[in-house]
Amino acid sequence: MLKQYLQEFANKNLQFLLVGKDGKILESEPSFLPIKTGDLITDVHPFFEGIAALEDEDESEFSFYCVHLEVAYQTYVTDIQRFQKKEGLLIVIQDLTKHYETYQAVAQARNESIINEELIVLKNAELEERERFKNLFIQNFSHELRNPLMSSMAITQILGDTHLNTEQKQLLDVLRDSNSHLKLLLEDTLSISMIASGKLELKSSLFNLSKLLELVSFTYQTKAKAKGLKFTFKADKRVPEMVEGDRLRLFQVLTNLLDNAIKYTQTGSVELHIAFNQQWANKVHLHFAVKDTGPGIPENKRDLVFETFSQLASPNAQQGTGLGLALVKGLLSLMESEIKLESTPGTGSVFSFDLGLKVPLRSALQSAKQHKSDATSRKIGGPGRKYKLLLVEDDERVLTVLFKILMDTKQFYIDVLDDGAEVLEAVIQNEYDLILMDINLPNTRGDQLTQIIREFPFKNVKQLPIVGITAYAYEDHMKAYKDAGMNAVLAKPFDSEELLTTLFSFLRK
Amino acid sequence: MQKSKKVVILGHFGVGKTSLIRRFVTDQFSDKYKVTIGVHITKKVVTLPTDDTISLILWDLEGTDALEEIRDAYLLGTHGIVFVFDVSRPSTFQHLNSDLKIVAKKVPERPLLVVGNKKDLVPEEELTQLLENHQISYNYLTSAKTGDTVEDVFMELATLLNSDA
Repeated sequence: MLKQYLQEFANKNLQFLLVGKDGKILESEPSFLPIKTGDLITDVHPFFEGIAALEDEDESEFSFYCVHLEVAYQTYVTDIQRFQKKEGLLIVIQDLTKHYETYQAVAQARNESIINEELIVLKNAELEERERFKNLFIQNFSHELRNPLMSSMAITQILGDTHLNTEQKQLLDVLRDSNSHLKLLLEDTLSISMIASGKLELKSSLFNLSKLLELVSFTYQTKAKAKGLKFTFKADKRVPEMVEGDRLRLFQVLTNLLDNAIKYTQTGSVELHIAFNQQWANKVHLHFAVKDTGPGIPENKRDLVFETFSQLASPNAQQGTGLGLALVKGLLSLMESEIKLESTPGTGSVFSFDLGLKVPLRSALQSAKQHKSDATSRKIGGPGRKYKLLLVEDDERVLTVLFKILMDTKQFYIDVLDDGAEVLEAVIQNEYDLILMDINLPNTRGDQLTQIIREFPFKNVKQLPIVGITAYAYEDHMKAYKDAGMNAVLAKPFDSEELLTTLFSFLRK
Repeated sequence: MQKSKKVVILGHFGVGKTSLIRRFVTDQFSDKYKVTIGVHITKKVVTLPTDDTISLILWDLEGTDALEEIRDAYLLGTHGIVFVFDVSRPSTFQHLNSDLKIVAKKVPERPLLVVGNKKDLVPEEELTQLLENHQISYNYLTSAKTGDTVEDVFMELATLLNSDA
């Protein structure tokens, strides 16, 4: 009895075929494949056509694993053995469909996982490349904008010192506003690209928070009024006057939030509130909120407003770069804070954030005040003393403006060069008090020349103050220029006050 | 008498070997990726411009990046080879030259065509640049999805095999 059962199970998955030399099936042990005696083996499945040529091979026995056979509209996954016998070919086919289905599932999961991982790596590399290209483009673009903007700013300032009639003064005010706006946009664009490339570092210093808030409040009071909006500023009395932090970046955050609020609010009001949360040791925690009565932001678009260029995709896009809120988000993240948004469509929005700022010790405050007083007293230099200055700049527009600003002080004798190759000779043959030099010069770079000058054997040349001018205002560039030995580097566009303050801080009285 | 020629399709997994065969034999395409294990064998009789007919027995082998591990039994009696890579995945063609050396060692002196598939996934200019950068020599760039150039591959191989006696 057991023998019979054994026979049943043994035969269930095995098929035996005997094939004659003419390819006809001589005998077929019927099992899972419906193959009849007398059929041509090559008609059963192309597999057998493919192995017909094996008659020429020396081996008499071949094994093929995991062969898919589609016979009579059914697929079997089989192992096939082929033996050369006296009567012809003995073919043994074993149905292992279930076994191979398990293997197939494992292979499917493994291959899909490897391919997906590879595609993610490729996609990330592509995104990184695009990001790199975008940042490079912004960097170069902002560089190209800096020279003309600087000329425009400086000429506006020079014009302001001339005799103008009322209409001309009003026009000049418009020009001055446009310059300031353009400068802010340029700085925002550069900042966002620096945040994206991880190059933006915060610069913490002691600053007067009360004055910063006064300035912001005054500026936006005026802007809101011009648009017929009410502007309210409220600050808790416990908000400290002096704090330690990055003044410029906090200014950028507040101005971008307020610009955004005023831009989108057509009627009603814009409010800036600063609340005092708590103070622990030497750190104060403040809550900043900008509230508007604008159209509000639907819930499904709240994340989108913090994306770069998000407003450009909006059919109701208004003027601007679309960078403002993305910049706010990026800057606050650097400050270990987070922007929050509460909004009710049709009623308005509140953008808020918490910020921890260091409060200085009394001794640090006194020292800072003293430093400021020293800097102010040195700013304009002493009357009667004239300095010999070497000005190296190849951009004619910038050169004209710089020359005019310096000559107007009546405190400089100026030599001008536009080629880096001539600088060393000029330095040896003349006794300058200071060199004001563009970094990006034809033939030799300003930072390379500085390095050479710093290695000169003559003390008077070696220690000559060198102030660089650059349109490449990235943090790492600025650091490299200072590492090369420059005393200071001015990032274009700068105004005459910034230029003269910097120069006089290195000139001996 | 009609000639019957065994053609093996080789290449890494997921490069579209099965899709190329399906496009050539049944003019169909599916976006769903199903891993081939072992070997699938299909057949197509083609008529050449010379009016000769030739039966191509297409052995679609399980894809692998370890070509030396392919079972020798699958390759016995091979007349021609199509080696396929995926133009959108550099890992499938980064070591193309060494892969082809392994194939030539396992199946010596047989006509071989190198095919970059999935050309529809990479813009044309970018694709040319990419393959130049990797110094990839190929015979055809195809898309099993659109059917672009698929027929040409098998017709050229059939012609080569037909003249191969």
